[in-house]
Order: sequence, then structure tokens, then C-alpha cells
Amino acid sequence: MIQIEGLSYRYPGAERAAIQGLSLQLRQGSLFGLLGPNGSGKTTLISILTGLLQPSTGSVAIDGKLLPAGLSESQRLSALVPQEYAFYPRLTVMENLGFFAALLAAPDGPVRIAEALSVTGLEAFASSRAEHLSGGLKRRLNLAIGLLNRPRLLFLDEPTVGMDPQSRRFILDTIKRINRAGTTVLYTSHYMEEVEDLCDEIGVLDEGRLLARGSLADLLGERGGRRLVVTLRDTPSSDQSRALDAIPGHAVAGSELTVEDCGERELQRVIDLLASQGLGVSRVRYGHGNLEELFLHLTGRQLRD
Amino acid sequence: MRLTALVRKETLLLLRDWHALLLLFAMPAVFILVMSLVLQNAYASHGDASFRYYLLDQDASAASTALGEALAAAGEFRRVSAAPGTVPEEELRRDRVQFLLTIPEGFGAALTGAHPLAVKLQAGPGVEPSVDKLFDAELHGALARIYLKASMAVLSARMPGMDASLAPDLDAVDKLILTESLYQAGGERRVPSSVQQNVPAWLLFAMFFIAVPLSTTWVQERQQGTYARLRSMGLPPRSLLLGKLLPYVVINLLQVVLMLAVGVWLVPLLGGDRLDLGRSYPALVLVACAVSFASVCYALLIANLVTSGEQATIFTGAANLLMAALGGIMVPRFLMPHVMQVISGYSPMTWGLDGFLDVFLRQEGATAVAPETLKLASFGLACLAAAALAMKLGKRR
Repeated sequence: MIQIEGLSYRYPGAERAAIQGLSLQLRQGSLFGLLGPNGSGKTTLISILTGLLQPSTGSVAIDGKLLPAGLSESQRLSALVPQEYAFYPRLTVMENLGFFAALLAAPDGPVRIAEALSVTGLEAFASSRAEHLSGGLKRRLNLAIGLLNRPRLLFLDEPTVGMDPQSRRFILDTIKRINRAGTTVLYTSHYMEEVEDLCDEIGVLDEGRLLARGSLADLLGERGGRRLVVTLRDTPSSDQSRALDAIPGHAVAGSELTVEDCGERELQRVIDLLASQGLGVSRVRYGHGNLEELFLHLTGRQLRD
Repeated sequence: MRLTALVRKETLLLLRDWHALLLLFAMPAVFILVMSLVLQNAYASHGDASFRYYLLDQDASAASTALGEALAAAGEFRRVSAAPGTVPEEELRRDRVQFLLTIPEGFGAALTGAHPLAVKLQAGPGVEPSVDKLFDAELHGALARIYLKASMAVLSARMPGMDASLAPDLDAVDKLILTESLYQAGGERRVPSSVQQNVPAWLLFAMFFIAVPLSTTWVQERQQGTYARLRSMGLPPRSLLLGKLLPYVVINLLQVVLMLAVGVWLVPLLGGDRLDLGRSYPALVLVACAVSFASVCYALLIANLVTSGEQATIFTGAANLLMAALGGIMVPRFLMPHVMQVISGYSPMTWGLDGFLDVFLRQEGATAVAPETLKLASFGLACLAAAALAMKLGKRR
């Protein structure tokens, strides 16, 4: 559905490129989660894919049509749901939907509005002013507007920011339903558990570069899957520490022993060594337990803004 | 269909923005009302002169009485008597009267002598130089008149055989001046009233304030991602510009209708003069449309240059005040020094004001307002082109 090759983009006056030589393919019908810290280039990438920015170098093709030549066609089949409340607060829900539907110039505008209201559960709020809606309802309206053109490709830029758990669950379930109905979804978020729950493919973006991509299982199993963290019952004595020096790539911090790139054979050796030294074990973690650990491992722990 | 939707949306947004409606309609209506009424006497169409003076006649002679009568006959200044217990100089210092004229004892007797006594004219601290000069001129005229009369009397006494018909007829001097204003209203010549001057001036000022709601809405659209959404839907920039231009031009024209209605009906109800709309409605419509187009295009440019609502409000306020000061809204252009008058000729508000005054004061038709209309239209087109360019450049940011 999306083919990106060697894509780069630098904002005028910026020191470094926001996107640097990025290549990525999204298959039709996938639900792709794009993770990245603030300023990693997620929104810039979506802006390029929706035609809001022109890339400096590289190529983008959507549904086989190269941009910018195929932009109007790709805009017809796709929709953007920005991370902000991209509608008019002083208009009602219905007036907002009516306005955006009219811009699409679709003959079945009222039917599409009814569909969008139904999918997002906003029927009861149709005559409410958008500015009076709760945060969750505003997010739903933001999504509903994006559904008006029945998109085959949906760009969701952090669509659940600031929502309560119930509203977030509703939005996530809605996105799943939309995806199951055949819409390809590119989803950016800071919420790792959302991406784990929702996406069948994940990409980790940082400083404009794609650091990793694949299914959740692949990423957790392969990328960093050889890291061993053992929490010992007691801090090792100096004799015990000297004995642990036999383990290549290990580090001891207090009662925590970490071994990077620990193969299955080494794993057995470490466990045997700990037993022979009489070091009791209270917890063992092997590989990345969750996406957040992988994310922090790939992007580092330093603050970005 | 897209354009209709954009126009409808913009209209709904504006109708629900009470602050903008107050700024665009209530503020200028009140301004016009207040300025027309407070400046009514400055244009003096009612003859209700507000400049007052004390006359201290310490001479009490025929000459001093004649001087007082000659001043009173001029009619532009009103002689008042000091209340018992008040000190005239103190009243003057506090601007309760504008002038104090003292005729010294012996003034009449010395008038035609070798050493005439001077009358003393004192002006209050708040008196404008132009008013001071005017009173000075009135006094000068009155003095010249009684001095000439007294001199003729002395001459007649010394030359008993002098033909009386040779004595000058001082009233004939008045006939040597024919004063005429080219302003006409209702088919008769009149003096232009304050409402005639103030309505077009403050109407223009208000019309250019359209930049505040327009740019605020535009900034909100950019900040809230609505603008990005609209563009991602393939809406071309020209539609976005046109979608703003049309409803705001209509709003601007509604301002014109309302402000003119205030001048025609409300100001007279409160004791002011009635605004005369001239004799050419096509010319009025032409000027109104040109000002509206120029002000909305200028607003579109500002909207594309600023990055926050605060910037939009501050910039529009400052720029409008500057344009108004230069454009003859606050100070008539003829009072400006030559250099400032030349600079003033480049202010769009000057063009608009000249256009309106062509219709309201000079009673001109569509042909006469064509130059101002063309200048305003060109300014509007230049702003629109610059706004489109700013949009294009902004797309890269």
C-alpha cells in the first residue's frame, strides 16, 4: 500500500534532517504502529505521506502511484486524523461533519455522516457544540471526520492522547474494526501497550531513522532477545564477583547481574555458575519482556525535549 | 459546493464569536455616535459656539462698549459674565473660559491720540493655537472698525466742510467677502457636519479591524491541525483564500450598512446632524466594495504572517492605528505638514476616506471615485498575492 525508498526531509533552517534515508513498505490491510520519541520524525513522515510536505530526496508511492504526481488520487483514498482536535470548536458535531463531508463533494454525504456518527458512537451528541464535548468525545469526533471519505488508508497521529481508559479502549476497538474491514492503518503513538495490543507490524523511528521494524513477536524475540537480567537474593561478595568475571559481557550493579548478548549455551553456564557460587536467584528476565524495554533499548533513555 | 461549505462555515464561526461581533459592529457604532456628537461643535453647524470669554471693561467708554458689541456681533465666541466671587484669571487658568479680554481705563480717550492704550488678551492654557489665532483675528477686525470710526470722527471735527459721503461705509467691507462651501446636502449649500466627517472616517477604521477575527480564526485552524486536515483532503490554497474572502467581504459590507444607518438615523435621534449619503449610490457601493476587498485581503496577508492570536491582535491594532493616523482618520490631512501629507497619500485608509468623502461631501459620482477604487483594488490584489505566497512558503515550514 505504501512504498517509501530513501526518503529524506530537512525543515528550512534545521541543523539535521527530520527524516534521513528512510525506507519502509506497508502492505495492504496492515495495521502498522510507528513508535518514536518526541521529535523522532513521526509527524513529519505522515505530513510527507499526506502531501503536506515535499520530500527533499527519495520516493513515496501510495497504492502504486508515485507522489507528488499521484497526490490527488492518494488524497482521495486516504484520510489524516491529526493529533490535535482538527475541527471547529464553535460548530456542532453535525455541522463539523457536514462541513468536511461537503468538501469531499460526495453525493451520499448524509449517509457517510450517519456512518461516521454510528462507528464512533456520536449519534447522541450530533447537535452538541464541539467545544462542549469531553476530551474523549472530541477524539471520537476527530476520528469520525477522518472516516467520512471511507478511506482505504488511514493515518492516525497519536489519536488517543489525553483520553480516559474507557474512551481509549473504545477508540482502539473502533480502529481494529476499521482495519478488519480492510483499511490499511498507519498508527503513531507513545503508548507502547496500545501498539502491542493493536498493531500487527511495528516500526521504531528515532532521529528520522527507522531503527527496527517487524511483528511484535519478531522484535521481542530477535532484537535484543539475548539479554539476560538476573536479580540475586544478595549482593555478591568479592570472591563471588571474581567468579562471575568468567561470564563474558556481564555487569553487576548491586544485586542485579546483566549479561548482554547471552546465547542459550551461555545462559545455562550462567545459571550453573550462580548455583555453584551459592548465589540465590529471585528473578530472571531473558530477552525483552515488553515493547517499552525494547523501545528504550533502541532509542536510549536520555530526554528528548 | 466546496466554496459554499467554506462560506457557510466561516459565517457560522463569526456569528458565534461574540467578541468579534462586538469589535466589528458595536465598537465602531459607539465610536461613530460618540465622535459625531462630541465633535459637533467643532464643525459648528448648529451655531452653538463653545468658546467663551470674559470681557473686563475698565474704561466703560463709548469706544469700549462699541468694541464689546463688535466682538459679540462676530458670533463665533460667546461672552460670559464672571460669577460673583470668582477671580477671572483663575477661571481662565482652569479653562472654564477660553479668553480674558481687558479693556484698560482711558482706552477710549487715547484711541486716536499719539499714545493709544492696548487692550490685553489672555488665552487659557488649553486653547489650541488655531482657536487663539481666530479670536485674535476677530479682535483685530473689531478694533480696526472702531479705530477707523473714531479716526473719521476726529477728521470730520477738524474738517467741518468735509463731504459726509466720503466717509467709508464700514459695513461694505463685509460685502467684499462672499463665503461659500462647496458642500451641498438636500440640494442646498451647507457647512459639512461632524457626522458627515466622522462616519466615513471611523467606518474605515472599523472595516480594517476585520483582520482580527479573520487572522485569529486562521491561526486557530493552523494550530489545531484543521488547516493540515483541509490540505490533506486536497483543498487547494485558492479555495481556502476564497472561502475566507467572500464571507468576510459580506461582513465588511454589513458594517458599512450598519454604520451608515447609525449616521442616518441614530445620531439625529440623539441630537446630532443627519448623515447625508450624497447623490450617487453606485459610487458609494463602489467605494464600499473596494475598501472591503482591500481590508479583507490585507487581513488575509496578516493571517498568513502571524503565528498566534495575540500577534494578530497586537499587529492589527498597531498597524490600523498607524494607517488611521496617516490616513486622515484622526487628524485631517490638510492639517499635516507637507511631508506627512505626501506619506499619507500611500495609506489605504486615505484612499478609502477620499472615496467616501468624494461621495458624502463633494457629492461626486462613480467616475470621480474611480482613482481611489482602483488604488484600493490594486492594494487588495497585492495583499492577496502576498498572502498566497506566504501560504506557499508556510507549507514548507
